[in-house]
Amino acid sequence: MIRPIGAVALLLALTLSGAAQPNEIRHSVARVTNTAQDANYRVPWLPGQVGSGSGTGWVISGDRLITNAHVVSNARFLTVEKENDPKKYIATVEHIAHDCDLALLKVQETAFFVGTKPLPLGGLPELESLVSVFGYPIGGERLSVTQGVVSRIDFRTYTHSTVDSHLSIQIDAAINPGNSGGPVMQDGKVVGVAFQGYSGDVAQNVGYMIPTPVIRHFLKDIEDGRYDRYMDLSIGFFNTLNPAMRKALGLTDDDRGVMVSNVQEAGVCAGLLHPGDVLLAIDGLEISSDGMVELEGERVLLSEVAERKYLDDVVKLSILREKQPMEVEVKFTRAWPFTLQAQQYEQQPRYVLFGGLLFQPLSRNLLGAYAFDNLRISYFYDHFISKELYREHPEVIILSAILPDPINTYLAEFREGIVEKINGKIILTLDDMVAAFAEKPEFYVIEFLGTGRPLVLERAAVEAARERINSRYAVPAEQNLDEKIPAA
Amino acid sequence: MRGRLAALLFCGLLTSGIGHAQAPASLEPTVEKALSVVRVNVTNQAWDFGRPWGKRTPFTRRAIGAVLPRQRVLVTAELVANANFVEFESAGGGQKVPATVEFVDYECNLALLKTDDTEFLKDLLPLNIGEARIGDQLSVWQIENNGNLLVTHGPMTTAEVLRYPIDESPFLVYRLTAQLQFRDTSFPLPVVKGEKLVGLLQRYDNSANNADIIPAPVIEHFLKDAVQPPYEGFPRLGMGYANTRDPQLRRYAGMKPGNGGIYVTEVLPGGPAAKAGLQKGDVVLKIAGETIDQDGNYNDPQYGRISLSHLVGTRHFHGTELKFDILRQSNPRQLTVTIANRPVESFVIEPYVIDRAPKFFILGGLVLQELSRQYLKEWGADWKKKAPEQFVYLDAQQNELFKDGPKKVVFLSRVLPSEATIGYEEVRSAVVKKVNGVVLQGIADLPKALAQAKDGVHKIEFDGEPGAIYLDAAQVTALEPMLATKYRLPTLQRLE
Repeated sequence: MIRPIGAVALLLALTLSGAAQPNEIRHSVARVTNTAQDANYRVPWLPGQVGSGSGTGWVISGDRLITNAHVVSNARFLTVEKENDPKKYIATVEHIAHDCDLALLKVQETAFFVGTKPLPLGGLPELESLVSVFGYPIGGERLSVTQGVVSRIDFRTYTHSTVDSHLSIQIDAAINPGNSGGPVMQDGKVVGVAFQGYSGDVAQNVGYMIPTPVIRHFLKDIEDGRYDRYMDLSIGFFNTLNPAMRKALGLTDDDRGVMVSNVQEAGVCAGLLHPGDVLLAIDGLEISSDGMVELEGERVLLSEVAERKYLDDVVKLSILREKQPMEVEVKFTRAWPFTLQAQQYEQQPRYVLFGGLLFQPLSRNLLGAYAFDNLRISYFYDHFISKELYREHPEVIILSAILPDPINTYLAEFREGIVEKINGKIILTLDDMVAAFAEKPEFYVIEFLGTGRPLVLERAAVEAARERINSRYAVPAEQNLDEKIPAA
Repeated sequence: MRGRLAALLFCGLLTSGIGHAQAPASLEPTVEKALSVVRVNVTNQAWDFGRPWGKRTPFTRRAIGAVLPRQRVLVTAELVANANFVEFESAGGGQKVPATVEFVDYECNLALLKTDDTEFLKDLLPLNIGEARIGDQLSVWQIENNGNLLVTHGPMTTAEVLRYPIDESPFLVYRLTAQLQFRDTSFPLPVVKGEKLVGLLQRYDNSANNADIIPAPVIEHFLKDAVQPPYEGFPRLGMGYANTRDPQLRRYAGMKPGNGGIYVTEVLPGGPAAKAGLQKGDVVLKIAGETIDQDGNYNDPQYGRISLSHLVGTRHFHGTELKFDILRQSNPRQLTVTIANRPVESFVIEPYVIDRAPKFFILGGLVLQELSRQYLKEWGADWKKKAPEQFVYLDAQQNELFKDGPKKVVFLSRVLPSEATIGYEEVRSAVVKKVNGVVLQGIADLPKALAQAKDGVHKIEFDGEPGAIYLDAAQVTALEPMLATKYRLPTLQRLE
């Protein structure tokens, strides 16, 4: 008696949730071809190299396509193609989330969606269960399908931004270049987006997909027409496994709680939490002494609870401060503001050129463009957040290059220096620098961090050199302070 | 950077120098001379700063010492660094006597050795110190297995001020071009002109046939200092400077065009320049009557234009008063700087710890140490890239970063896991700020800080992650015998 009901219920569920049939899936998976232009951080006034690449996208509700952010980053011209349709349709990026490597595309002609069916989202697949990966990887022109099992569900770094970690699912199906953005299907539903493999020769049959909690988070975030990025507590915490530590912090022998080891001044918890506080529960979920909580049947890091929040949401923390229990509410008023360590896209590099001296803020992109061999720069980059260097250097302004001219003949030693002051004024941002250079002193005196001499430029000499430098080096603009450029 | 290169070259001669065996080394036949050299055999055993309770594997090196008057033998400090045993061996082999280090200065890389056996050196002809100029033919002395001298000639090509192996103070170096043959000795080798010692060969690059020589003036300074104890070492100014080639800087600093002078960029607090009242932004025009050019060189009667470091650090002695002619905001002034050696112990992060055991304290399994460059050098020749970045940064910027203390940086280097350290296994390379609320000025402050445990729990606070950790004080004490036995630790602390 029970079995048939179960079967009916299953069938019903399939019908109600609109699980896609195999041929419907095939029709709803598209090849995405991106003509991209990556910014030139070496010569920031130049437009940058144009290149092209392709990945996979799939149809969701509202005549839209989901793909990976890295498939459509820095896009200048995007096309999408379906199986059995020779036409290339022009697409545009509606939303792009570099911190979770997802993007939403619009297609100009609605004719594209004829014959497609929005693929429904599923849940977290079981370990060892079978999944199918659809996409347009290298090795052929037509749609490819590979199969594998779910190997592991874990927190993992998303290599597109290089700094963000979210839930990700490891599968043993072959995922190759071109698969990116493609749907990973189980029982007719999308359970993930294929997005990265394992670099190096040591691992085999390791592919990763973005699971549906992350996809749903992205879709919900953009409902208001804007992507606000992931929320983050911006704290560090440390296990409380040690009995002496538990005693000192006033904890009982119940394996609960983590000690706050660091509260970022620029984060949402600043002033609300203090190092030494013990986090016992987050939104009512008990935190174990290694920082894990149980969420929907999975043991995950407590950070995952914050991960699932949106701008202006509140998280409730039960803490122990000086052995006294307290409740703290933290409102996510903004995403973490300092993205210096994250790879940036869709941005025109910020810079100021003055007297042939090129000043640029430190970023991952800048480090990628220059082979700096400078201890101070690497320290500022690596410890920007851990040592809260952003407090005194919200932008770490580097003299990155010199366009040789008689005015700067003797200034080579200052290359790779970090600007501290101009004419006695502390320079926090590139905008401060522009303001200082707009003044008319007899000498511009630039002081750098460290114990070197000041860099001195005579105003008259700078003014006399300006045209000469700009024309000789074909510089169309001496500065760019806006970073955003319109995406395709 | 230089130190790394030098170390590389050093290995070069020891391993691959053999390739030159067939090259003609000497233009004249090896002559029978009254010998003025002895073989010096040294067994070195350095402390292991990564495992500060023990020493590394001992190894033996052979070199050639120059015999000086008063039965003293001159070698490089490097040769006798962390020496366990030193012996003299006659040139032809056979005879050996134990020797001791009388004076050693790692900064100028020189050491003076002696033996209690008054017979051993008595028949050797002592060398006097001579002088050499660019273009002179110099001879490098090696010893054949049969005891004969192997003499290689080469011209002295340059004399310049460079950093020495201990990368702190710059000294004069003679550079010689000569094709040395490989023998079973490493450095130093005596360098002679006529019958006088003009230097000790401390480095050889066998691809370019270049030899770096510790020159006579540095040796003379060292010997004069050694004759009149206490040995005071080479003086310095305690200031940093920049060249003034840039005309825009010169006009900004109120200097006349083409008028020499250096721009003071840094004055070390408490150093000789600071005591004399020198300030950042001053322009130094003359030191002890010698005009300083825009690059910081003076005109040396022997070597021409060379760095003022030679004038101040080698030609003059600790405690000497030097007149400085300076410009301050365009106004000429005179100051008197009493130059002084900077003892290595006065550094927050000591640039070298040689012949001294590393200090450490094992607290329930936490290994606490004092940060030194010697510790960082445990990461090998490429330590600036491979050692923990924060420590390399602290070392490189220590003059800027520790103006208000502490005197030494105490850090947790690693954890030897024990019952007391559960949960802390992953903590490493963390700077310790306080123990039980006591700010540590050095590792010697630990015992009195540990006496302040609250409710039987020690609290260790770090600069950065993980913030703070705690240890059960009674458990820590109870675990000591177990730690010593299980990890085979001869001692759990060394604070002196």
